[in-house]
Amino acid sequence: MGTSILVWSVVSHDGAARVVKPAGKIDESTATPFGERLAEEIEAAATDGLAKVVVDLSHIEYMSSRGLRGLTLGQRKASEHKVAIVLAQPNEIMREILAISRYDKVFKVFDSVAEAVAG
Amino acid sequence: MKVRFWGTRGSLAVAQKAASIGDKIAAALVAARGRTFADVAEARAFAESELDFATFGTYGGATSCVEVEAGGEGDAFIVCDLGSGLREFGLDAMGRCARGHARVYHVFLSHLHWDHICGFPFFVPVFDPAAEVVIHSGHPDAETALRRQQEEISFPVAFDWLRANISFRTLEVGTRYPIGAVTVEMIEQHHSHLSYGYKFTDAAGKSVVYSTDSEHKIDKMDAETAFVGFFGGCDLVICDTMYSLADSISMKEDWGHSSNVVAIDLCHEAEAKRLALFHHEPTYSDADLQRMHQESIRYEELTRETAPLEVLCAYDGLVVDV
Repeated sequence: MGTSILVWSVVSHDGAARVVKPAGKIDESTATPFGERLAEEIEAAATDGLAKVVVDLSHIEYMSSRGLRGLTLGQRKASEHKVAIVLAQPNEIMREILAISRYDKVFKVFDSVAEAVAG
Repeated sequence: MKVRFWGTRGSLAVAQKAASIGDKIAAALVAARGRTFADVAEARAFAESELDFATFGTYGGATSCVEVEAGGEGDAFIVCDLGSGLREFGLDAMGRCARGHARVYHVFLSHLHWDHICGFPFFVPVFDPAAEVVIHSGHPDAETALRRQQEEISFPVAFDWLRANISFRTLEVGTRYPIGAVTVEMIEQHHSHLSYGYKFTDAAGKSVVYSTDSEHKIDKMDAETAFVGFFGGCDLVICDTMYSLADSISMKEDWGHSSNVVAIDLCHEAEAKRLALFHHEPTYSDADLQRMHQESIRYEELTRETAPLEVLCAYDGLVVDV
């Protein structure tokens, strides 16, 4: 597989949650930087006293098991800081991948960022 | 090469209950929608073409035993693991020996857990004084495990009463062994008391990997590079896909098994040609396994970036031409 580029943005920081928005594919070539950046975002949320990180998946094309497991490692790190990770607005491919992997049973998945922040 | 699956279930042998057979028959009758059939052959043709596998057949319930056929009748049998599927393999092999096949068996043990050795006391060829059985393993205590399960407290026939010429050979990772009609390589895997995967390559360069009871740890994902290399370009990779990914990193973490999606990712990265889902969860029904197979095919499609990976779901009795 080719090397993919992962672009991140922190789109809001409204006092309730840190909303992060990675863009691209998360596969074996991007899973490590994805996990590292997610860890940084969790620490930033904890430093700011926020209880939640919302991962906006709307610009993720797909995520392989490496990326999914990166989410779990992030979840473990977040729980150490008493921060929750939730997922928002996955595309149809990501919805299928979350269902096939049963990750929709271990992460809360919301249709919109607003619902994820409020939920 | 041919690969014959004699046992595909993980952990514990299971059997169909009357109710599940009844459900299959009822579903078949509904699917027939009142059609009549002239004879059994016509009814079977309908069932094979019109019914899904979980209705028409079954994935079976015998524990791990896979035969790799390479070479001809003059070459040795190659058998991966001694699960309960071994009993039926042994009977079939005796028939082939009666027709002229060499009475030599090279066994390759993934590890020594009960479900992978429990067929050995029922392996008829070990009562054949003309048979030679060589048990290859990465574990130096393989002989202890097989002798112990035939001690009187567990089984009425002692190991020393077996008539075949049985020997044990400990293999090492990193060495290529010419054995029978194939070259064999081994990889260490994460599992309680360790397990080993094997790669069999024939004279034509066709290769089959047998990698069961192998957990790919979430906190050691870099270790997967070795598996990508081991699976590289293989014609068939048989993988432990016992759990969903979510189960394998939550409730069932450290239980020593892996998932369908990790197996597909490893095979994609390795550019393997075919994957056989294997070591099925004993609580799964045929319908559950069929659903898991369909989902695996879909995941492969969703994440494919290069050549397609054909995803098979192993069942007791499946024969794959490699």
